[in-house]
Amino acid sequence: MPERPGDPVNNTRRYGMSRKRLFICVAAGLVLAIGGAGCSIGGDKETVTTTVTVGETTPTGGTGGTGKTVKIVASVPPTDHGWLGAISKDAKAAAEQFDDVEFELLEAADADSQAQQIEQAIADKPDVLVVLPQDGAALTPVAQKAEKAGIPVVNIDRLFTAPDAATATILGDNYQIGVLAAEYIADQLNCQGNVVEIQGLAGISVTTDRTKGFTDTLKKACPGGGIKIVASQPGDFNPDKGLTVMENILQAQTDIDAVYTHDDDMAQGVVQAIRNAGRDDEMFLTGVGGSQDAMQQIEEGGLYRATFLYNPNMAASAVNMARLIGLGQGFSELVPPEVPRMLVVPAAVVTKDNVSEYEQYAFD
Amino acid sequence: MSGRTEASGTSRGGALAQRAKGLEFQEYALAIVVVLLFVAGSILKPETFPTWDNVRNMLTQASVVGVLAIGMTFVIATAGIDLSVGSMVAAAGVFGGILIGDDGTSSLVFILGAILFATFLGSVNATSIAYGRVVPFIATLAMFSVGRGLALLLNDKLPVSLLDLNGGSFGDPQPFSLLWFGTGRIFGIPVSVFVLLAVTILGWIVLNRTRYGRYVIAVGGNREAARIAGVPVRRIIFSVYVLSGFLAGISTVLLCARLGSASPVSGNLYELDAIGAVVIGGTSLAGGRATIVGTFLGVLTFALIFSLMTQLNLSTEIQQVTKGLIVLGAVLLQRPEARY
Repeated sequence: MPERPGDPVNNTRRYGMSRKRLFICVAAGLVLAIGGAGCSIGGDKETVTTTVTVGETTPTGGTGGTGKTVKIVASVPPTDHGWLGAISKDAKAAAEQFDDVEFELLEAADADSQAQQIEQAIADKPDVLVVLPQDGAALTPVAQKAEKAGIPVVNIDRLFTAPDAATATILGDNYQIGVLAAEYIADQLNCQGNVVEIQGLAGISVTTDRTKGFTDTLKKACPGGGIKIVASQPGDFNPDKGLTVMENILQAQTDIDAVYTHDDDMAQGVVQAIRNAGRDDEMFLTGVGGSQDAMQQIEEGGLYRATFLYNPNMAASAVNMARLIGLGQGFSELVPPEVPRMLVVPAAVVTKDNVSEYEQYAFD
Repeated sequence: MSGRTEASGTSRGGALAQRAKGLEFQEYALAIVVVLLFVAGSILKPETFPTWDNVRNMLTQASVVGVLAIGMTFVIATAGIDLSVGSMVAAAGVFGGILIGDDGTSSLVFILGAILFATFLGSVNATSIAYGRVVPFIATLAMFSVGRGLALLLNDKLPVSLLDLNGGSFGDPQPFSLLWFGTGRIFGIPVSVFVLLAVTILGWIVLNRTRYGRYVIAVGGNREAARIAGVPVRRIIFSVYVLSGFLAGISTVLLCARLGSASPVSGNLYELDAIGAVVIGGTSLAGGRATIVGTFLGVLTFALIFSLMTQLNLSTEIQQVTKGLIVLGAVLLQRPEARY
């Protein structure tokens, strides 16, 4: 508030303000300013200011010829996981393609610090914010705040819970991942067998959608109900949790035909549990994501039979969208002059037959 | 005989006897919880739960946190805390992993590298607490953060595959190869369980039967009195954090051996499980009272709860509520009447 003295509403109010209230306002402003300054010094920022000149054709939208620079700030959860690491790499790479983009990537340790980082970013007044929230619901208010301050927000993958929190959204189709996995497993097992599901982190939409798509489709694909989900437990996208959970399930279930895991990184722990038990001939396993490790194992054949690509290059698309929004342009191939509100990136089945086509998208 | 060591004053006779009785009951109570959980599992899953294979599986799983918890018992006995063990496990694993390089196939390099690095991180904790006079909570909270950061930094956020160290073959690993520590067996008992038992027994002897153990308890019970009595307080405090780091290194080996890789995200929140096991075992967070047997039973309790609930395929929310209630119930059950 105190930062906008020109605001007419603010001005009229301020004259009528009691002294005490004025003091509180100023104090609050000071605290914000100090807090903000502290953040900008202490925060683990990584600034990528691009000076690369692009000689080749620029993707959709063109340069616009305005000479305007678009300042984009992206905020992502900690990239300690293969897929999230790929997200930040792809976003940076996309920003480097444009000489009219000034790009900054912020990494937050958790939802709270991500909210603080975004607050701070709003104060810096970038042209567009790109946010992959740690937790969509928790970060909705701060995204709404950005939108109200006139900074468009591009939301990646994990949805905000209010429609006015983002100008545009790009996401993978987690429900479809479940659908593809169910179709694949139903087909491989001829609708007959026991399936184990190792889920991601409990309580987030990614996990519930991947589970729901799977169970819904399994019912449709095998109306007789020949496939039984004998165990369904969260592995928190973490290899050592995947290992211990699978070890216990292997104890309880003497007959398993297929394992549907929600993530390639976590699946490595599950694979290890099965191998340690010497039961790798009994069942096969599928992953999600598209990591190099998974693709390599799929190519070699054996336990790891398929993964469902959840392409992290949606982050690159998000940066492209943010740039177009900043320039006030739309996709040149589409009729309207604005960027669409919602883009859904399709998932793909990667098996031994087609793994060579998808290896280019694999991440470490 | 009670496996508990206490910094008792000079009170003798009836009061002491009564207290000892209460304390003994406390340990038996946790043993009863362990038995009850096992019986419950055997009733609910009669074909698969009460099997030798399953017991072996639970003990193997318990070994990782169990080794950490023994170290944590010594730390908590001095009225300290070590919040960094999970992060040290991750950092030590990745450090050992990058030592191997592309061509090396030596398990020993990984094992020694991981243990030495964890011990080094532990001695950083030890130095800042014993000589820098930093509160243990803060010093180890800093290491919690630094350790996790190092784990991510050391190999550019990527896990290191250790499968080459296993010779690629599963089932009958070579003695003292990394895989041997994960899946190898001696007389049908997993090597990792031998490691856990060895660490537990050594911990019990050191805490209960050596002067060092008495010093640890004395420092936690009354630091000033210990100092006046000639206990080298600083050195004792220093040593327990080094020990905790060293055991985190051993725990790393046990985990990575089973996982076949060293992941920078592994060991997440292991410190809570370790601290929880120590405290439900009856060791006092205020220091001066510690029990290795109790810690061991606490570790078994957690392992049983986790194993049983996954095997019953309970949903996450039910698991969390149940786990919380069992832990609370176990603590209430073993609360001695004379604690206040």
